[in-house]
Amino acid sequence: MRTAINEDMFTPDVIADPYAYYGHLRDEAPVYWNELYQLWVVTSYEHVVWLTRHHELFSSAVFKNDPRPAYPDINESDLGLYEYVRQYQADQFIQHDRPDHLEMRKVVHGYFTPKSMEAWRPFVQSAIKDLLDEAQDKGRMDVMRDFATPLPVLVIAQMMGVPREDRAHVRHLAEKLLNIGRGEPDRMKPLTEGMQGMIDYVSPLVDERLVNPGDDFISVLAQGEKAGVFTRHQVLVNTSLLLLAGHETTINLLCNGTLAFIRHPEQWALLKQDPAGRTVRATEECLRYDAPVKSIQRIASQDVEMHGRLLRKNDRIRWFISSANRDPKTFAEPSTFNISRYPNPHVAFGSGIHHCLGATIARLEGQEAFKAMAERFPNLHLETEELEYQPSITFRSLKSLPVTWN
Amino acid sequence: MARTVRVTVDHNVCVGNAMCETIAPNVFALNENRQSEAVNPEGDTVEKILDAAENCPVSAIIVEDADTGERLFP
Repeated sequence: MRTAINEDMFTPDVIADPYAYYGHLRDEAPVYWNELYQLWVVTSYEHVVWLTRHHELFSSAVFKNDPRPAYPDINESDLGLYEYVRQYQADQFIQHDRPDHLEMRKVVHGYFTPKSMEAWRPFVQSAIKDLLDEAQDKGRMDVMRDFATPLPVLVIAQMMGVPREDRAHVRHLAEKLLNIGRGEPDRMKPLTEGMQGMIDYVSPLVDERLVNPGDDFISVLAQGEKAGVFTRHQVLVNTSLLLLAGHETTINLLCNGTLAFIRHPEQWALLKQDPAGRTVRATEECLRYDAPVKSIQRIASQDVEMHGRLLRKNDRIRWFISSANRDPKTFAEPSTFNISRYPNPHVAFGSGIHHCLGATIARLEGQEAFKAMAERFPNLHLETEELEYQPSITFRSLKSLPVTWN
Repeated sequence: MARTVRVTVDHNVCVGNAMCETIAPNVFALNENRQSEAVNPEGDTVEKILDAAENCPVSAIIVEDADTGERLFP
Protein backbone atom coordinates (compact mmCIF):
# COMPACT_ATOMS: atom_id res chain seq x y z
CA MET A 1 0.00 0.00 0.00
CA ARG A 2 1.32 3.45 -0.92
CA THR A 3 0.59 6.30 1.43
CA ALA A 4 2.05 9.71 2.05
CA ILE A 5 3.29 8.64 5.47
CA ASN A 6 6.74 9.88 6.45
CA GLU A 7 8.81 6.76 7.05
CA ASP A 8 11.31 8.23 9.49
CA MET A 9 10.16 7.59 13.05
CA PHE A 10 13.12 9.46 14.57
CA THR A 11 12.34 12.97 13.27
CA PRO A 12 11.89 15.73 15.89
CA ASP A 13 8.16 16.07 15.22
CA VAL A 14 7.51 12.34 15.77
CA ILE A 15 9.61 12.40 18.95
CA ALA A 16 7.76 15.50 20.22
CA ASP A 17 4.29 14.15 19.42
CA PRO A 18 4.15 10.40 18.86
CA TYR A 19 0.37 10.49 19.24
CA ALA A 20 -0.24 12.36 15.98
CA TYR A 21 2.12 10.16 13.95
CA TYR A 22 1.27 6.71 15.32
CA GLY A 23 -2.38 7.67 15.76
CA HIS A 24 -2.54 8.52 12.06
CA LEU A 25 -0.98 5.16 11.22
CA ARG A 26 -3.42 3.37 13.54
CA ASP A 27 -6.39 4.98 11.81
CA GLU A 28 -5.06 4.51 8.26
CA ALA A 29 -2.97 1.32 8.37
CA PRO A 30 -2.81 -0.38 11.79
CA VAL A 31 -0.41 -3.04 10.48
CA TYR A 32 2.02 -1.03 8.38
CA TRP A 33 5.20 -1.96 6.54
CA ASN A 34 7.82 0.74 7.11
CA GLU A 35 9.96 0.62 4.00
CA LEU A 36 12.76 2.76 5.38
CA TYR A 37 13.50 0.56 8.40
CA GLN A 38 12.12 -2.64 6.87
CA LEU A 39 9.81 -3.49 9.73
CA TRP A 40 6.14 -3.83 10.61
CA VAL A 41 4.65 -1.05 12.71
CA VAL A 42 1.60 -2.28 14.66
CA THR A 43 -0.44 0.54 16.19
CA SER A 44 -4.04 -0.51 16.96
CA TYR A 45 -5.14 -1.76 20.38
CA GLU A 46 -6.77 -4.86 18.93
CA HIS A 47 -3.65 -5.96 17.07
CA VAL A 48 -1.24 -5.05 19.86
CA VAL A 49 -3.21 -7.19 22.33
CA TRP A 50 -3.56 -10.05 19.85
CA LEU A 51 0.13 -9.98 19.05
CA THR A 52 1.33 -9.86 22.65
CA ARG A 53 -0.97 -12.72 23.63
CA HIS A 54 0.19 -14.94 20.76
CA HIS A 55 3.75 -15.34 21.91
CA GLU A 56 4.09 -18.56 19.90
CA LEU A 57 3.70 -16.52 16.69
CA PHE A 58 5.81 -13.51 17.68
CA SER A 59 9.19 -14.22 19.19
CA SER A 60 10.70 -12.04 21.90
CA ALA A 61 14.14 -13.47 21.19
CA VAL A 62 14.74 -10.54 18.87
CA PHE A 63 18.48 -10.22 19.27
CA LYS A 64 19.12 -13.96 19.08
CA ASN A 65 16.95 -14.58 16.03
CA ASP A 66 17.67 -11.47 14.00
CA PRO A 67 20.94 -11.60 12.06
CA ARG A 68 20.27 -8.29 10.27
CA PRO A 69 22.21 -5.15 11.11
CA ALA A 70 21.04 -2.57 13.63
CA TYR A 71 18.47 0.04 12.64
CA PRO A 72 18.77 2.96 12.21
CA ASP A 73 22.22 2.44 10.65
CA ILE A 74 25.29 2.60 12.87
CA ASN A 75 28.87 3.54 12.05
CA GLU A 76 30.55 0.76 10.10
CA SER A 77 33.47 0.79 12.53
CA ASP A 78 31.01 -0.14 15.33
CA LEU A 79 29.77 -3.44 13.84
CA GLY A 80 31.86 -5.38 16.36
CA LEU A 81 30.27 -3.44 19.19
CA TYR A 82 26.83 -4.36 17.84
CA GLU A 83 27.78 -8.03 18.09
CA TYR A 84 28.55 -7.40 21.76
CA VAL A 85 25.15 -5.72 22.18
CA ARG A 86 23.41 -8.68 20.55
CA GLN A 87 25.05 -11.19 22.85
CA TYR A 88 24.34 -9.07 25.90
CA GLN A 89 20.70 -8.43 25.04
CA ALA A 90 20.09 -12.06 24.03
CA ASP A 91 20.77 -13.17 27.63
CA GLN A 92 18.01 -11.00 29.11
CA PHE A 93 15.12 -13.18 30.28
CA ILE A 94 12.68 -10.91 28.45
CA GLN A 95 14.49 -11.84 25.22
CA HIS A 96 13.45 -15.49 25.52
CA ASP A 97 10.48 -17.54 24.35
CA ARG A 98 8.79 -20.47 25.99
CA PRO A 99 9.77 -22.91 27.34
CA ASP A 100 12.95 -21.14 28.54
CA HIS A 101 11.13 -17.90 29.32
CA LEU A 102 8.72 -19.65 31.66
CA GLU A 103 11.52 -21.28 33.66
CA MET A 104 13.31 -17.94 33.95
CA ARG A 105 10.15 -16.00 34.79
CA LYS A 106 9.34 -18.52 37.53
CA VAL A 107 12.62 -17.64 39.24
CA VAL A 108 11.78 -13.93 39.45
CA HIS A 109 7.96 -13.80 39.33
CA GLY A 110 7.22 -14.60 42.97
CA TYR A 111 9.27 -11.68 44.23
CA PHE A 112 6.99 -9.16 42.49
CA THR A 113 3.48 -10.32 43.42
CA PRO A 114 1.02 -7.55 44.36
CA LYS A 115 0.94 -8.88 47.92
CA SER A 116 4.70 -8.84 48.43
CA MET A 117 5.10 -5.47 46.73
CA GLU A 118 2.54 -3.95 49.11
CA ALA A 119 5.13 -4.38 51.87
CA TRP A 120 7.23 -1.76 50.07
CA ARG A 121 4.59 0.98 50.37
CA PRO A 122 5.90 2.45 53.66
CA PHE A 123 9.44 2.60 52.24
CA VAL A 124 8.16 4.36 49.12
CA GLN A 125 6.11 6.81 51.18
CA SER A 126 9.04 7.66 53.36
CA ALA A 127 11.39 8.12 50.39
CA ILE A 128 8.84 10.44 48.77
CA LYS A 129 8.49 12.45 51.96
CA ASP A 130 12.25 12.95 52.22
CA LEU A 131 12.61 14.03 48.59
CA LEU A 132 9.65 16.42 48.74
CA ASP A 133 10.81 17.84 52.10
CA GLU A 134 14.06 18.72 50.42
CA ALA A 135 12.32 20.35 47.46
CA GLN A 136 9.67 22.18 49.47
CA ASP A 137 11.91 24.89 50.89
CA LYS A 138 13.35 25.74 47.50
CA GLY A 139 9.93 26.48 46.05
CA ARG A 140 10.85 24.83 42.77
CA MET A 141 12.30 21.63 41.39
CA ASP A 142 13.16 19.79 38.24
CA VAL A 143 10.74 16.90 38.68
CA MET A 144 13.02 14.75 36.55
CA ARG A 145 16.28 15.40 38.39
CA ASP A 146 15.02 16.01 41.92
CA PHE A 147 12.13 13.60 42.30
CA ALA A 148 11.28 11.23 39.44
CA THR A 149 14.84 9.92 39.11
CA PRO A 150 15.99 9.55 42.71
CA LEU A 151 12.76 7.88 43.90
CA PRO A 152 12.77 4.77 41.70
CA VAL A 153 16.57 4.52 41.83
CA LEU A 154 16.28 4.45 45.62
CA VAL A 155 13.58 1.78 45.51
CA ILE A 156 15.25 -0.58 43.03
CA ALA A 157 18.64 -0.13 44.68
CA GLN A 158 17.09 -1.04 48.02
CA MET A 159 15.40 -4.10 46.49
CA MET A 160 18.65 -5.24 44.98
CA GLY A 161 20.74 -4.44 48.00
CA VAL A 162 22.92 -1.93 46.14
CA PRO A 163 24.98 0.21 48.53
CA ARG A 164 23.69 3.76 48.91
CA GLU A 165 26.95 5.35 47.79
CA ASP A 166 26.81 3.46 44.47
CA ARG A 167 23.46 4.82 43.32
CA ALA A 168 24.87 7.72 41.31
CA HIS A 169 27.17 5.31 39.49
CA VAL A 170 24.27 2.98 38.69
CA ARG A 171 22.24 5.88 37.32
CA HIS A 172 25.20 7.02 35.23
CA LEU A 173 25.49 3.55 33.67
CA ALA A 174 21.73 3.39 33.16
CA GLU A 175 21.82 6.59 31.14
CA LYS A 176 24.32 5.00 28.79
CA LEU A 177 22.08 1.94 28.41
CA LEU A 178 19.26 4.18 27.18
CA ASN A 179 21.10 4.48 23.87
CA ILE A 180 19.47 1.15 22.96
CA GLY A 181 16.34 2.95 21.75
CA ARG A 182 18.01 5.83 19.97
CA GLY A 183 18.93 6.58 16.37
CA GLU A 184 22.35 8.26 16.38
CA PRO A 185 24.91 6.32 14.27
CA ASP A 186 27.54 6.56 17.05
CA ARG A 187 25.26 5.18 19.81
CA MET A 188 27.02 1.79 20.10
CA LYS A 189 30.00 3.13 22.00
CA PRO A 190 28.16 4.63 25.00
CA LEU A 191 25.70 1.70 24.93
CA THR A 192 28.43 -0.95 25.19
CA GLU A 193 30.26 1.11 27.81
CA GLY A 194 27.05 1.04 29.85
CA MET A 195 26.63 -2.71 29.37
CA GLN A 196 30.21 -3.57 30.26
CA GLY A 197 30.11 -1.09 33.15
CA MET A 198 27.02 -2.81 34.54
CA ILE A 199 28.58 -6.27 34.20
CA ASP A 200 31.71 -5.04 35.98
CA TYR A 201 29.65 -3.37 38.68
CA VAL A 202 27.26 -6.22 39.47
CA SER A 203 29.80 -9.09 39.22
CA PRO A 204 31.17 -8.80 42.78
CA LEU A 205 27.62 -8.26 44.14
CA VAL A 206 26.49 -11.51 42.50
CA ASP A 207 29.60 -13.36 43.72
CA GLU A 208 28.81 -12.26 47.23
CA ARG A 209 25.11 -13.23 47.13
CA LEU A 210 25.95 -16.68 45.82
CA VAL A 211 27.91 -17.27 48.99
CA ASN A 212 25.72 -15.27 51.38
CA PRO A 213 22.18 -15.15 50.02
CA GLY A 214 19.90 -12.51 51.52
CA ASP A 215 16.29 -11.50 50.92
CA ASP A 216 17.27 -9.03 48.18
CA PHE A 217 16.53 -9.46 44.52
CA ILE A 218 20.11 -10.15 43.38
CA SER A 219 20.01 -13.18 45.69
CA VAL A 220 16.87 -14.34 43.88
CA LEU A 221 18.66 -14.15 40.53
CA ALA A 222 21.77 -15.80 41.94
CA GLN A 223 19.54 -18.62 43.20
CA GLY A 224 18.46 -19.09 39.58
CA GLU A 225 22.07 -19.90 38.71
CA LYS A 226 22.32 -22.45 41.50
CA ALA A 227 19.10 -24.05 40.22
CA GLY A 228 20.61 -24.34 36.73
CA VAL A 229 18.10 -21.96 35.09
CA PHE A 230 20.51 -19.08 34.50
CA THR A 231 24.15 -19.05 33.42
CA ARG A 232 26.43 -16.61 35.22
CA HIS A 233 26.34 -14.22 32.27
CA GLN A 234 22.54 -14.36 32.35
CA VAL A 235 22.52 -13.51 36.06
CA LEU A 236 24.77 -10.51 35.41
CA VAL A 237 22.77 -9.32 32.41
CA ASN A 238 19.43 -9.73 34.20
CA THR A 239 20.67 -7.95 37.30
CA SER A 240 21.66 -5.07 35.03
CA LEU A 241 18.35 -5.27 33.17
CA LEU A 242 16.31 -5.02 36.36
CA LEU A 243 18.42 -2.19 37.70
CA LEU A 244 17.62 -0.29 34.51
CA ALA A 245 14.02 -1.40 33.92
CA GLY A 246 13.27 -0.90 37.61
CA HIS A 247 13.74 2.81 37.39
CA GLU A 248 13.84 4.21 33.86
CA THR A 249 10.20 3.51 33.12
CA THR A 250 9.02 4.75 36.49
CA ILE A 251 10.88 8.02 35.93
CA ASN A 252 8.78 8.50 32.81
CA LEU A 253 5.56 7.62 34.62
CA LEU A 254 6.23 10.24 37.29
CA CYS A 255 7.31 12.98 34.84
CA ASN A 256 4.71 12.34 32.14
CA GLY A 257 1.97 12.01 34.75
CA THR A 258 2.97 15.24 36.50
CA LEU A 259 2.98 17.04 33.16
CA ALA A 260 -0.45 15.65 32.30
CA PHE A 261 -1.82 17.01 35.58
CA ILE A 262 -0.27 20.43 35.00
CA ARG A 263 -1.74 20.57 31.50
CA HIS A 264 -5.18 19.54 32.82
CA PRO A 265 -5.89 21.71 35.87
CA GLU A 266 -9.47 20.42 36.23
CA GLN A 267 -8.12 16.86 36.65
CA TRP A 268 -5.49 18.12 39.12
CA ALA A 269 -8.31 19.77 41.05
CA LEU A 270 -10.19 16.49 41.07
CA LEU A 271 -7.21 14.61 42.46
CA LYS A 272 -6.62 17.29 45.11
CA GLN A 273 -10.18 16.88 46.40
CA ASP A 274 -9.45 13.27 47.37
CA PRO A 275 -5.82 12.28 46.75
CA ALA A 276 -5.95 8.99 48.63
CA GLY A 277 -9.25 7.96 47.07
CA ARG A 278 -8.44 8.92 43.48
CA THR A 279 -4.75 8.21 43.05
CA VAL A 280 -5.16 4.58 41.97
CA ARG A 281 -7.33 5.32 38.92
CA ALA A 282 -5.39 8.52 38.27
CA THR A 283 -2.15 6.54 38.03
CA GLU A 284 -3.77 4.14 35.55
CA GLU A 285 -4.84 7.10 33.45
CA CYS A 286 -1.31 8.55 33.52
CA LEU A 287 -0.05 5.18 32.31
CA ARG A 288 -2.58 5.18 29.48
CA TYR A 289 -2.45 8.81 28.45
CA ASP A 290 1.32 9.30 28.14
CA ALA A 291 2.85 5.86 28.63
CA PRO A 292 6.49 5.53 29.79
CA VAL A 293 7.31 3.04 27.03
CA LYS A 294 6.26 3.83 23.48
CA SER A 295 7.12 0.65 21.61
CA ILE A 296 8.57 -2.85 21.91
CA GLN A 297 9.99 -5.26 19.37
CA ARG A 298 9.12 -8.76 18.23
CA ILE A 299 10.15 -10.97 15.35
CA ALA A 300 7.70 -13.19 13.45
CA SER A 301 8.20 -16.87 14.34
CA GLN A 302 6.31 -18.00 11.25
CA ASP A 303 4.28 -16.53 8.42
CA VAL A 304 1.23 -14.90 9.96
CA GLU A 305 -1.61 -12.75 8.65
CA MET A 306 -2.73 -9.64 10.48
CA HIS A 307 -5.29 -7.15 9.24
CA GLY A 308 -5.03 -8.65 5.76
CA ARG A 309 -1.25 -8.23 5.60
CA LEU A 310 1.14 -11.17 5.41
CA LEU A 311 3.98 -10.97 7.90
CA ARG A 312 6.75 -13.34 6.87
CA LYS A 313 8.78 -15.52 9.20
CA ASN A 314 11.68 -13.49 10.67
CA ASP A 315 10.12 -10.12 9.76
CA ARG A 316 10.87 -7.37 12.25
CA ILE A 317 7.94 -5.92 14.18
CA ARG A 318 7.47 -2.95 16.49
CA TRP A 319 4.19 -2.63 18.42
CA PHE A 320 3.20 0.74 19.77
CA ILE A 321 1.76 1.22 23.21
CA SER A 322 1.31 4.96 22.65
CA SER A 323 -1.19 4.56 19.83
CA ALA A 324 -2.90 1.46 21.25
CA ASN A 325 -3.61 3.32 24.48
CA ARG A 326 -5.40 6.01 22.49
CA ASP A 327 -7.38 3.75 20.21
CA PRO A 328 -10.93 5.15 19.93
CA LYS A 329 -12.27 1.62 19.39
CA THR A 330 -11.29 0.77 22.97
CA PHE A 331 -11.22 4.09 24.83
CA ALA A 332 -13.99 6.70 24.71
CA GLU A 333 -12.52 10.15 24.06
CA PRO A 334 -9.04 8.64 23.96
CA SER A 335 -7.18 11.96 23.81
CA THR A 336 -8.90 13.23 26.95
CA PHE A 337 -6.98 12.89 30.21
CA ASN A 338 -9.67 11.60 32.56
CA ILE A 339 -8.49 10.32 35.94
CA SER A 340 -11.88 8.75 36.69
CA ARG A 341 -11.72 6.47 33.65
CA TYR A 342 -12.81 2.90 34.41
CA PRO A 343 -12.32 0.30 33.19
CA ASN A 344 -8.96 1.31 31.80
CA PRO A 345 -7.43 -1.71 30.05
CA HIS A 346 -4.36 0.17 28.80
CA VAL A 347 -1.32 -1.74 27.60
CA ALA A 348 1.36 0.42 29.23
CA PHE A 349 2.83 -2.75 30.77
CA GLY A 350 2.25 -4.85 27.67
CA SER A 351 0.11 -7.98 27.87
CA GLY A 352 0.41 -11.75 27.80
CA ILE A 353 3.25 -13.83 29.20
CA HIS A 354 5.74 -10.95 28.96
CA HIS A 355 3.56 -8.48 30.90
CA CYS A 356 5.90 -6.19 32.87
CA LEU A 357 7.37 -7.96 35.89
CA GLY A 358 7.62 -4.71 37.85
CA ALA A 359 4.14 -3.36 37.06
CA THR A 360 2.97 -3.50 40.67
CA ILE A 361 5.90 -1.58 42.13
CA ALA A 362 5.71 0.99 39.32
CA ARG A 363 2.00 1.48 40.03
CA LEU A 364 2.67 1.79 43.74
CA GLU A 365 5.35 4.45 43.21
CA GLY A 366 3.05 6.37 40.88
CA GLN A 367 0.12 6.21 43.30
CA GLU A 368 2.15 7.45 46.23
CA ALA A 369 3.98 10.12 44.23
CA PHE A 370 0.86 11.72 42.68
CA LYS A 371 -0.96 11.58 46.00
CA ALA A 372 1.90 13.26 47.85
CA MET A 373 2.32 15.97 45.24
CA ALA A 374 -1.41 16.73 45.24
CA GLU A 375 -1.35 17.05 49.02
CA ARG A 376 1.80 19.15 49.21
CA PHE A 377 2.04 21.19 46.01
CA PRO A 378 -1.51 22.15 45.08
CA ASN A 379 -0.35 25.12 42.99
CA LEU A 380 1.96 23.14 40.77
CA HIS A 381 2.81 24.82 37.45
CA LEU A 382 5.45 24.77 34.75
CA GLU A 383 8.48 27.04 34.85
CA THR A 384 8.85 26.82 31.09
CA GLU A 385 6.70 25.68 28.18
CA GLU A 386 9.78 24.52 26.28
CA LEU A 387 9.95 20.82 27.07
CA GLU A 388 12.04 18.34 25.14
CA TYR A 389 11.97 14.57 24.86
CA GLN A 390 14.86 12.14 24.44
CA PRO A 391 15.09 11.03 20.78
CA SER A 392 14.17 7.41 21.57
CA ILE A 393 11.71 5.17 19.75
CA THR A 394 11.37 3.02 22.88
CA PHE A 395 11.00 5.44 25.78
CA ARG A 396 8.80 8.50 26.20
CA SER A 397 11.34 10.42 28.31
CA LEU A 398 11.33 14.12 29.08
CA LYS A 399 14.78 15.66 29.35
CA SER A 400 13.70 17.81 32.28
CA LEU A 401 10.50 19.10 33.90
CA PRO A 402 11.06 22.31 35.88
CA VAL A 403 8.09 23.27 38.08
CA THR A 404 7.22 25.74 40.84
CA TRP A 405 4.37 25.84 43.36
CA ASN A 406 4.43 29.31 44.85
CA MET B 1 -14.92 -32.61 54.16
CA ALA B 2 -12.49 -30.60 52.06
CA ARG B 3 -13.31 -27.00 51.40
CA THR B 4 -14.61 -26.17 47.94
CA VAL B 5 -14.09 -22.77 46.40
CA ARG B 6 -15.69 -20.51 43.83
CA VAL B 7 -13.12 -19.00 41.47
CA THR B 8 -13.72 -16.06 39.14
CA VAL B 9 -11.40 -14.14 36.83
CA ASP B 10 -12.09 -10.44 36.24
CA HIS B 11 -11.76 -9.97 32.47
CA ASN B 12 -11.62 -6.18 32.85
CA VAL B 13 -8.27 -6.79 34.50
CA CYS B 14 -6.79 -10.10 33.25
CA VAL B 15 -3.81 -9.57 30.94
CA GLY B 16 -3.27 -13.21 30.01
CA ASN B 17 0.00 -13.50 31.91
CA ALA B 18 -0.92 -17.18 32.29
CA MET B 19 0.99 -17.79 35.51
CA CYS B 20 -2.27 -19.16 36.99
CA GLU B 21 -2.39 -21.75 34.23
CA THR B 22 1.17 -22.78 35.08
CA ILE B 23 0.51 -23.08 38.82
CA ALA B 24 -2.95 -24.68 38.71
CA PRO B 25 -3.25 -26.13 35.20
CA ASN B 26 -6.34 -28.19 35.95
CA VAL B 27 -8.29 -25.15 37.13
CA PHE B 28 -7.27 -22.35 34.77
CA ALA B 29 -7.22 -22.31 30.99
CA LEU B 30 -6.89 -19.47 28.52
CA ASN B 31 -9.94 -18.69 26.38
CA GLU B 32 -9.89 -17.57 22.74
CA ASN B 33 -8.97 -14.02 23.82
CA ARG B 34 -6.08 -15.53 25.74
CA GLN B 35 -7.57 -14.46 29.03
CA SER B 36 -7.82 -16.89 31.92
CA GLU B 37 -10.99 -18.80 32.78
CA ALA B 38 -11.55 -20.94 35.85
CA VAL B 39 -12.79 -23.95 33.93
CA ASN B 40 -12.76 -26.42 36.80
CA PRO B 41 -12.51 -25.05 40.36
CA GLU B 42 -12.09 -28.57 41.71
CA GLY B 43 -9.23 -29.53 39.37
CA ASP B 44 -6.43 -28.67 41.79
CA THR B 45 -6.08 -28.19 45.53
CA VAL B 46 -7.31 -25.01 47.21
CA GLU B 47 -3.69 -24.28 48.15
CA LYS B 48 -2.69 -24.33 44.48
CA ILE B 49 -5.63 -22.11 43.54
CA LEU B 50 -4.71 -19.56 46.22
CA ASP B 51 -1.09 -19.71 45.09
CA ALA B 52 -2.23 -18.99 41.52
CA ALA B 53 -4.39 -16.08 42.71
CA GLU B 54 -1.56 -14.60 44.72
CA ASN B 55 0.81 -14.86 41.76
CA CYS B 56 -1.56 -13.09 39.38
CA PRO B 57 0.36 -9.89 38.55
CA VAL B 58 -2.87 -7.85 38.30
CA SER B 59 -4.92 -9.53 41.06
CA ALA B 60 -7.60 -10.61 38.60
CA ILE B 61 -8.45 -13.87 40.38
CA ILE B 62 -11.10 -13.88 43.09
CA VAL B 63 -11.42 -16.93 45.33
CA GLU B 64 -14.36 -17.46 47.67
CA ASP B 65 -15.51 -20.29 49.89
CA ALA B 66 -18.24 -22.04 47.90
CA ASP B 67 -20.35 -22.75 50.99
CA THR B 68 -20.00 -19.63 53.10
CA GLY B 69 -19.17 -17.07 50.39
CA GLU B 70 -16.23 -15.92 52.48
CA ARG B 71 -13.64 -14.04 50.40
CA LEU B 72 -10.35 -15.99 50.52
CA PHE B 73 -8.43 -13.87 47.97
CA PRO B 74 -7.61 -11.07 47.47
